[in-house]
Amino acid sequence: MPAGSLLALLARRVASLGLTLLAASFLVFMLTQFSPANVARETLGAYALPEQVRALTRSLRLDDPILLRYARWGGVLLGLKADPLQDPRLGLHFTDPRGARYFGNFGYSTLFRAPVADVLWSRLANTALLGALALAVIVPLSLALGILAGLRPGGLLDRLISVSAIAMTSVPEFALGVILVAIFSVALRWLPGTSPLTTGAGWPLASQLVLPVAVLAIYDSGYVARMVRVAMIEVLGQPYIRTATLKGLSRRQVILRHALRNAMIMPFTVLMLQINWLIGGVVVTELVFAYPGFGRMLLQASLFGDVALIEAATLIALSIAILTQLLSDIGYWLLDPKARG
Amino acid sequence: MLAEFGGEPPLASLRRQLAEGRIGRREFLRYAVLVGLAVPEALAEIGAAGTARAALPQGGTLRLGTRVKDIKNPHTYSWGAYDSNVCRQVCEYLTLTDHDNVTHPWLLERWQVSDDLQTWTLALRPGVKWHNGEDFTADQVIWNLRRLTDPAVGSSFLGLVKGYLMREVPDGTGADGKPRTRLVLWDAQAIERVDAHTVRLHCHSPQVAVPEHLFHYPALMLYPGDNGVFGPGAQGTGAFTLTDFEAGKLARVRAVKNYWGEGPQLEAIEFIDLGDDVSAGISALASRQVHGLVDTDPMQYPALHQIPFLQFYQVSTAETAVLRVKLDAKPFDDARVRQAMRLGLDNTEIMQVALRGLGTAGQNVHVAPVQPDYGRVPAVRRDVAQAKQLLADAGYPTGFETTLYLPASPGWLAAACQAAVEQWQEIGLRVKLSVMPGAAYWDVWTKVPFGCTLWYHRPLGVMVLGLAYRAGVPWNETGYANPAFDRLLAEAEGTLDAARRSAVMAELEAMLQADGPMVQPLWRTLFTFMDHAVQGFTMHPSQYVFGNQLALLAG
Repeated sequence: MPAGSLLALLARRVASLGLTLLAASFLVFMLTQFSPANVARETLGAYALPEQVRALTRSLRLDDPILLRYARWGGVLLGLKADPLQDPRLGLHFTDPRGARYFGNFGYSTLFRAPVADVLWSRLANTALLGALALAVIVPLSLALGILAGLRPGGLLDRLISVSAIAMTSVPEFALGVILVAIFSVALRWLPGTSPLTTGAGWPLASQLVLPVAVLAIYDSGYVARMVRVAMIEVLGQPYIRTATLKGLSRRQVILRHALRNAMIMPFTVLMLQINWLIGGVVVTELVFAYPGFGRMLLQASLFGDVALIEAATLIALSIAILTQLLSDIGYWLLDPKARG
Repeated sequence: MLAEFGGEPPLASLRRQLAEGRIGRREFLRYAVLVGLAVPEALAEIGAAGTARAALPQGGTLRLGTRVKDIKNPHTYSWGAYDSNVCRQVCEYLTLTDHDNVTHPWLLERWQVSDDLQTWTLALRPGVKWHNGEDFTADQVIWNLRRLTDPAVGSSFLGLVKGYLMREVPDGTGADGKPRTRLVLWDAQAIERVDAHTVRLHCHSPQVAVPEHLFHYPALMLYPGDNGVFGPGAQGTGAFTLTDFEAGKLARVRAVKNYWGEGPQLEAIEFIDLGDDVSAGISALASRQVHGLVDTDPMQYPALHQIPFLQFYQVSTAETAVLRVKLDAKPFDDARVRQAMRLGLDNTEIMQVALRGLGTAGQNVHVAPVQPDYGRVPAVRRDVAQAKQLLADAGYPTGFETTLYLPASPGWLAAACQAAVEQWQEIGLRVKLSVMPGAAYWDVWTKVPFGCTLWYHRPLGVMVLGLAYRAGVPWNETGYANPAFDRLLAEAEGTLDAARRSAVMAELEAMLQADGPMVQPLWRTLFTFMDHAVQGFTMHPSQYVFGNQLALLAG
């Protein structure tokens, strides 16, 4: 694929991102509108009288057809309309320092009673930090284990690593979390048992990241290491590896110069997929450690029926998934000469 | 004087009842304070005065694990302890119902009630000031009470006072063509300013629970200049001021100087959000990240009990789960079916399963023995044969299938429902559980034909019965409408004589046992664990934290 093709690929991906986001936003909007919870009830609380809920439903025009409401939501997001929940006449005291009308206005979270932008980005940053640290451990660990196991398939080291990798992946995150807390927090008292990211108890922030990162790294490294092992075994069986060996290159040279690069193509894609998981899929770890992250926030929003927050979080998670896919394509293009044509 | 006391002055009657052993010391204290006796004098009469508190250490930051919910609009709080515990340290209530269910004056110095229980004179405590140095005045109390009773605000306080301070007036017609009504104060002078430090409430019907209602968790006295909004820097009369707040993460309050009351000893309190996962609370306590938990789940008990540096606290409460039916839905419209459902359960066993023994069995009456107005009724016993017979008489000889809706949180509700479902199988009821996310359930809690509702502790039984079983009130989730019940309930609400009121309550409870719309299998004993370093803590039945009473041992 020539460089021009890469640009075309990028253009297609960006267009696809826009269309996917539009379709997903509509689908999520539809689904949340059909859930039993409603914005007026959540805004006023569980004990508001039915007539109060009805009055707010009328004020917010929540009885309008769904397409009209979706268009209104889109208008608020694009900054074309003011967020109706911030109307001072409603007396809800919902205010956003950015104003009621601006581009990227995801609206007001009825769960946190704060602008979605205030809730979303801080939690996304917390999860991104957790994910980045976990990835920094997962990548070298899984590559090292996978390569070592793949070098001599069926050997003692391979068996040892393979069994360990399966064991690591088999233990659920919550169980792993509890086991690590029991050892390092309760028995040894080396590390804090939760990670609320407050330092009042004297535990530095860095110490609060150790156990959640360890859970994610242990849980995920086993899976990625097995992928790397398979790729390594496949590449080492290729004719060009045999040719390189027959040319008289040392084993070390064959592996470093010819095998590794090609063996990385498939694991690279797998690692890119792990980023999606580390952003949106680490709910259990965040719950077990009381970590104020994106996954826990999305779960809370879903259970509460916080439409604005669910919409925003879904679109962010989707954007990250599509962007990592794009990165994966670019990486594939760089790693595989055949892809560049 | 009061007819209920047979012409005898209320205090004299109470003293006589105490001497005759007709009421206990706790009941005497509660009612003596109610009719205007100062708390120290009441304590002296029962021989409990003079126990000075040991000197408490000063300083330190107390960290409590909890959920940190939105706190912006105190008058519309709906999360009970979660949201009010933060605001409670900064803003205060006119009264205070303590851990022993006795209601004291707080921002009030005293109250006086008329003989007919319709006029309550509230005298403000002198010397109380807002953090900005302004006096706490009657005008500010009136501003708060009017705001709390304004339907546009949406406070659940309105539901409590609707029966004696409000009336409905026509409000045009709705989209469906039916006439609409709205609630207004029943009289322009219903909340009267007597002078700068005295307010008088004029009720249109007798009400004995006014002091308890003034401690309902949204009834915080807010500074009018803050316009009903609470946040960092908001004014209050309390021992602390809010300095930091992030929903879902942390709330921090710091001690103020020159607090009008006792304390504070602590320098600051941090409320740390530990989420919904029960293991997080255990981990945080085990690694001493928090000194204690505001709310604990029975599932946490075995692990926390093993940690040596923790102190166990518990209190019996009127918190319960009610497995209730809609009376207009078949087959629950038949009283025999409802009775069969009650007879089909062993309440003690359900309590054991759901609460791991940390509670007491319910009697299907929704008035708890810890509430001072409880009237003694016979214990309920499981009788499978009679339950089957009742179902057969009602036309269901092989039982029936139905669905029980319940919220996912707290987890012990599901355990209680599961235990009930298994026991009901024996009488032929095939019940499917439908567990809903909390918010979704609270949207339909008054609508589902068969549901499990969590009812928090309230200091008086009449409060619960008035909220849940009086005909036509907003929280009457079952549609129970019994004129005889309503008449007796009004009588109980207007009766000051403790013994006589308990007798009326026993009649009300018997009605619920006979044809009530629910099974109420258990009472929860609330418990928590605190680090031994925490001093001055007492478990409150509503999980309220009073930071000015607490202290921390150094080290």
